[in-house]
Amino acid sequence: MKSRLALALLSTTLLFAGQAAAEDMVFTSWGGTTQDAQKTYWADPFTAEKNVAVTQDGPTDYGKIKAMVEAGNVTWDVVDVEGDYAVQAGNAGLLEKLDFSVIDKSKLDPRFVTDYSVGSFYYSFVIGCNKDAVDACPKTWADLFDPQKFPGKRTFYKWSAPGVIEAALLADGVPADKLYPLDLDRAFKKLDTIKADIVWWDSGAQSQQLLASAEAPFGSFWNGRLTALAETGVTVETSWTNNITAADSLVVPKGAKNKDAAMKFIAQATSDSAQAQFATATGYAPINLDSNTLMDAELRNSLPDMQADTQVNADMSYWAEHRDEIGTRWYAWQAK
Amino acid sequence: MAVTIATGAVKTKREGTLGYLLPALLLIAFFFIVPVLMLLMRSVLEPEVGLQNYEALLGSTTYLRVFVNTFMVAGVVTIVSIVIGYPVAWLLAIMPEKWSRIVLAIIILSMWTNLLARTYAWMVLLQRTGVINKTLMRLGLIDQPLALVNNLVGVTIGMTYIMLPFVILPLMGVIRTIDPAILRAAALCGAGKMQCFLRVLLPLSLPGIAAGALMVFVMSLGYFVTPALLGGTSNMMLAELVAQFVQSLVNWGMGGAAALVLLVVTLALYAVQLRYFNSARGK
Repeated sequence: MKSRLALALLSTTLLFAGQAAAEDMVFTSWGGTTQDAQKTYWADPFTAEKNVAVTQDGPTDYGKIKAMVEAGNVTWDVVDVEGDYAVQAGNAGLLEKLDFSVIDKSKLDPRFVTDYSVGSFYYSFVIGCNKDAVDACPKTWADLFDPQKFPGKRTFYKWSAPGVIEAALLADGVPADKLYPLDLDRAFKKLDTIKADIVWWDSGAQSQQLLASAEAPFGSFWNGRLTALAETGVTVETSWTNNITAADSLVVPKGAKNKDAAMKFIAQATSDSAQAQFATATGYAPINLDSNTLMDAELRNSLPDMQADTQVNADMSYWAEHRDEIGTRWYAWQAK
Repeated sequence: MAVTIATGAVKTKREGTLGYLLPALLLIAFFFIVPVLMLLMRSVLEPEVGLQNYEALLGSTTYLRVFVNTFMVAGVVTIVSIVIGYPVAWLLAIMPEKWSRIVLAIIILSMWTNLLARTYAWMVLLQRTGVINKTLMRLGLIDQPLALVNNLVGVTIGMTYIMLPFVILPLMGVIRTIDPAILRAAALCGAGKMQCFLRVLLPLSLPGIAAGALMVFVMSLGYFVTPALLGGTSNMMLAELVAQFVQSLVNWGMGGAAALVLLVVTLALYAVQLRYFNSARGK
C-alpha cells in the first residue's frame, strides 16, 4: 500500500515535471463560476501562448495579502480584488506598480486604471428574483426595501462594499446624483426597516444557492451570477432599474515572486479578446474598450455597462477614502 | 512555562520524557506561541502605542453584545449537548460490547467527515425551503416555515451536532467505571428509578459531565465555521469578529485585542478544568 502510494506520488511528480512550463505563477480570485471563466478565458490561453503555468487559488482575502506582504513571503502574483480596495491598498503600499510598458492601458477603461491596478471586469448590483417562487417580483430598490408589498426574506451582500448602502439610500428616495457623500445615518435607518428579513450572502455561490432554493426569493446580486444561474434552468428575473455598478481590479501584491509573469498575465487578461470571451461567458462587461467589436451585438447590449438609463456608478474613490470608517460602522450595525 | 514546571520538583524522573517532548514543544513555540504573541503585540502597537484598541473593544455596546452572545451560544450548546449526550453515553456504557462498538463507530465516523460539508448539509436541511420545513408543512403540522437557520436555533443545532462526541466519549468512560453493584445496592435499599439516577448515577458521573461540559464550552467559545454559516449577523461570535477585523477591515490591532480577550477567557477556563481534575484525582 505504502509503496503504491509512493509510486503514485512519484509518477505525479514526473508527470508535472514533464509538462513543466518555463515559468509559473499564482492567480487568486473569488472562486465559483466567475473564477472558472477567468481560468478558461484568461489563464488557460495564457499558459498555452506564453508557456507560463498558472495555479488558481482563492478566495481573495485582504488579510492574507497584508500578511504576505509584511512577512515578505508573497505567494499570490495576480489577485482579483474589489475596486475600492485596490485604490486603498495601492496607497497603503501593499501593491506593486503595474508595468504599463507590458500592459497596454490605452485600450482600458480609464475609470478603473490606477498606478497599481487595472479593471478586471465590470459588474452591476441588480435586483434578482426567482419567478417560480413568488407571485410578483420587486422591480426597484424601493420595492426590495418594502416588506409590506413584498413579504419574505431578501438577500444582500454581507461584506462592507459599494452596493447595499447605495441601494438603501436610493430606496429611501435619495436621487442618484446626490448619493455622495453617503448619508450613513439615513442608510442604516432604512436598512433597519428590513433587517429582520435580510439573509446575507457572503459569496457569489451562496447568493445563487439562496435564490435557486428560494430561501430568499429576491435580493441584490452580482448580475453575472444571475446569468450563470439562469443557464442552469432557474427562472430568474433581473431588474436593471438603478443598477449599481462597480468594478473588480487586478493587482500584484508588493514583493510578488513572479512579477514579470504577473504583468504579462494582466496584459493578456485585459486584452480585447480575453475580455470579450470572459464577458460573453459571464454576463459581466469588459473593461477593454476594443472588446465591443469582438462580441455578438445583442449580447453586448445586455451587459451592465449598456444598462445606462438609470444606472448608478458607485464612487470608488469615495469608498477608498472611507472604506475603514464605513466598514467599522457596517459590521457594528450588522452585529446589533 | 511547561518546561519550568517539568524541570522543577520532579526533575530526576522527568528528564528523559522532556527530551521526547522537546520537538513538539518547539513546534508549538515557533508556529503557535510566537505568532500569537506577535498578533497580541499589534493590539497594543497599532495604530499607535497604547490600549486604545481594548478601550474601543470593551467600551462599545456592539462588541460587548458579541462577547455576551459568544458566552450564551457556548452555554446553550454545552447544556443541550449534555442533555442529549448523557443518555447516549449511558446506553453505550451498558450496551453489549457488540452493539456499543457499532454505535461508537457511527459517532466517531461523523467526526471524520469534513466540517464544512456537514455544516452545509445542515444548511440545506434547515432552510425555509429545506427538507425539514417541507416535510412538516406537508404533514400539516405547520403553515409557515420555521426559522431554523440564520439564527440562534441554527447555530445551536449545528454546533451541538459537532460537539456531541466530545461529551459522549468522556461521559461514557466515566459511566463505565461506575460499579453496577452500587446501583443494585441503591435499588435494594428502596430507591426508585429516578432516585437511583439523581442520587447515585448522576453524582458519580459528575466528573465526566464536568470534563465534557468544559471541553465543549471552551471549544464553542472559539468556534468559527458553524456560527458563520448557520447563524445570522446578529448572533455573531467572537471568532467571527476576529476574522472580520483581520480579513475584511484589515484592522489587526483590533483583531489582536479581540483574540487576546478570547484567549484569556479560554485559558482561565482551562485553568478551572485543570484545577478541578487535580482535586478530583486527589479525592
